[in-house]
Amino acid sequence: MTRNTDTGGDSGDAVADGGVTENPNGSGFSPIAALNDRFGSDFVESSQFWLPPFLLVGLFVYGAIIWNLLISLTDFNSFGSPDYSDLDFEMYARALADSAFVDAAVNTFVLLVGFTLVTLALGLGLAILVDRNIRFENTLRTIYLLPMSLSFVVTAQFWAWMFNFNNGVINIVISSLGFGRVDWLGNPDIVLWAVMFALMWQFAGYAMVVYLAGLRAIPNEHYEAAKVDGASTIRMYWRVIIPQLKGSTISASVVLMVFALKAFDFLYSLVGGYRPPNGVDILATKMVREAYQANEWAYASAIAIALFLMALGIVGPYLYYQYTRGNL
Amino acid sequence: MTDQDKRLSRRHFVGATGAATLAGLAGCSGGDGGSGSTLEVLHAWTGGDGATAVEALVEAFEEEYPDIEHEFNPIGGGGNQNLDAVVANRLQNNEPPSAFAGWPGPNLQQYEGVLGDVGNVWDEESFEDVMVQEAVDLHQRNDAYRAVPLGSHRLNCMFYNTSVVEEAGVDPDSLTSVSALIDALETVQNETDAIPMTHGASGTWTTTQLFSSTMLGQEGYEAYMNFLDGSPDEEAVRATFESLAEILGNYINDDASSIGLTESNQNIIEGNAAFIHQGNWAAGAYRNAEDFSYDEDWGFKTYPGSEGMYMLHFDSFLYPSDNPTSDVTDQFMTFVGSEAAQVAFNQYKGSIPTRTDVDMSEFGPFLQETQEDFADAEERPPNLQHGLGVPSETMTALNDVVSSEFSGPYNVDAATQGFVDAVSN
Repeated sequence: MTRNTDTGGDSGDAVADGGVTENPNGSGFSPIAALNDRFGSDFVESSQFWLPPFLLVGLFVYGAIIWNLLISLTDFNSFGSPDYSDLDFEMYARALADSAFVDAAVNTFVLLVGFTLVTLALGLGLAILVDRNIRFENTLRTIYLLPMSLSFVVTAQFWAWMFNFNNGVINIVISSLGFGRVDWLGNPDIVLWAVMFALMWQFAGYAMVVYLAGLRAIPNEHYEAAKVDGASTIRMYWRVIIPQLKGSTISASVVLMVFALKAFDFLYSLVGGYRPPNGVDILATKMVREAYQANEWAYASAIAIALFLMALGIVGPYLYYQYTRGNL
Repeated sequence: MTDQDKRLSRRHFVGATGAATLAGLAGCSGGDGGSGSTLEVLHAWTGGDGATAVEALVEAFEEEYPDIEHEFNPIGGGGNQNLDAVVANRLQNNEPPSAFAGWPGPNLQQYEGVLGDVGNVWDEESFEDVMVQEAVDLHQRNDAYRAVPLGSHRLNCMFYNTSVVEEAGVDPDSLTSVSALIDALETVQNETDAIPMTHGASGTWTTTQLFSSTMLGQEGYEAYMNFLDGSPDEEAVRATFESLAEILGNYINDDASSIGLTESNQNIIEGNAAFIHQGNWAAGAYRNAEDFSYDEDWGFKTYPGSEGMYMLHFDSFLYPSDNPTSDVTDQFMTFVGSEAAQVAFNQYKGSIPTRTDVDMSEFGPFLQETQEDFADAEERPPNLQHGLGVPSETMTALNDVVSSEFSGPYNVDAATQGFVDAVSN
């Protein structure tokens, strides 16, 4: 619309694009034109498309985060309204002095790193096996992916039964092999690994699918060239194929890590409450307990911000990586 | 030209739609708060005895007040956790229900400023004359009545499977101290294949609850009340934890940490265990079990050492301020404290009326005995885990301690220190 009409003659039908221009000779000041100049030629006209979602996301996501941050700076607890006149970092100091918070943060971090690494490794292994032109490939793929489609409420109950000390299938198997029974959920040194194992079982299929797509995108010539050069299968995967799966690894690990941060659903369903077994309390469960059981809104908000920063620490580098590669 | 027009009009159309969406969303913030004069009651009785009891309550309410439109909304899950979260959110957003189920006593402290005054109902119905004194005291906060009681469970209860204790040669009625209980558990361990005491510890509340009964039974009423009042005797707390560590460390089921109350209680019904400590809601499962009758197949014993005492629990309805239906809610509150409601609800819930003038003929023999114990009790100490003894923050702190120090391995020193710190003023 802002294109000047100095193309060709003055006859009306030669003006193919609009007819009347808003700013014919640059005389006078138009705020719309100024905005367009600053942000690109269609800034104002296209705003009706991007502005509503922009405002909605801004309000409900970023607005809510900022509000949460503000609440975490108050001393707000129980009912009533927070007092915004007296803001300080008291809740953050309290969190650092609270050993339960530190334990939960450490557990969250261990879950995050351990779960993601093992799930990726397992998913990659499955993907390579499924990709080797085996029989029943589709069936196997479906079987591996199936746990992912189940609700956490269901899988947590499965695992609660399987981890049962007396009747759980895991203890039955290992005791029939001659090992002693293990108190999977009751021993605070073991329970985190038990939960991690259950989550890994559920998400390995997802990692497999992402890797499978990555493997399918690698041209057959690469395999053939490696073979012609005399590389063994292991060497071929290690030196030729896996390095090409960097993109799949990064996108799968971001999804897995973000999930690990909010494993709340699984833990909630495992015990039917906000308090997971001793040794596997994570920030998400602690946050909900502080908010809804103790009504310590400000403290819960501070925990939420800590959780948010951890998530940002994961997603931020990923976004930057994509940005530098021109994908954003 | 026509092409151009079309494109413009489509753009405008989409733009207008976007604007309309925005306006619509903005309009939503107005909220749909009150639904007129409909009474809305929130509770957590979603299954089993609770659901049957609420059904009976609603039926009795409809009979008495046929003209009142009502909505009884059950919010289940995690015990009362989901209900409490929903209530907290609605009170926080200034959208209170007409009434919600909850515990009175120090539990009311968390609702500071958002509960109204139902003193008019208490006065009109002379509830002060017909309810036990503890109910009268515990339903007040800041010099006003904040709630009306519906029923009472007993906490210091121990149930047993008759055939298992007979096989072991233990006479439950002779167990009048915690040390006698521990000896009996040892006997069961040696004489039978059964679990001496079944415990469901997937949540921490069962252990906190067991602490309260053990402390009451072993250290006595004074020590227990001092603990609740914030001046605990450290030695009494330590001695209680020592007994608990002995019981939990030696005589409970191996899978305690992976099961909850329901499965634990099943051990009694199936004859896999001799004893269980619970509130008397556990007896509801026995009533529903086939071929499992009171006195023949299962029995009741006051928790050893706490004979003559009735550890109190109340199921009450709390009254929010800014009540959306204050007149109707008053009528509901009047109903809750009435004999009709208390009989209808409690006989199915497995609890007893808080009124002392109720005809107990519709209740089973077990609840009739409970009612007699309730009326004759020398002391009725409030419970620790269900709102009557300590405020909710203290309860959360106590459960944090149980979770980190006393869910196996059992660290008596750390747990003692944690409990003393949590309740001390």
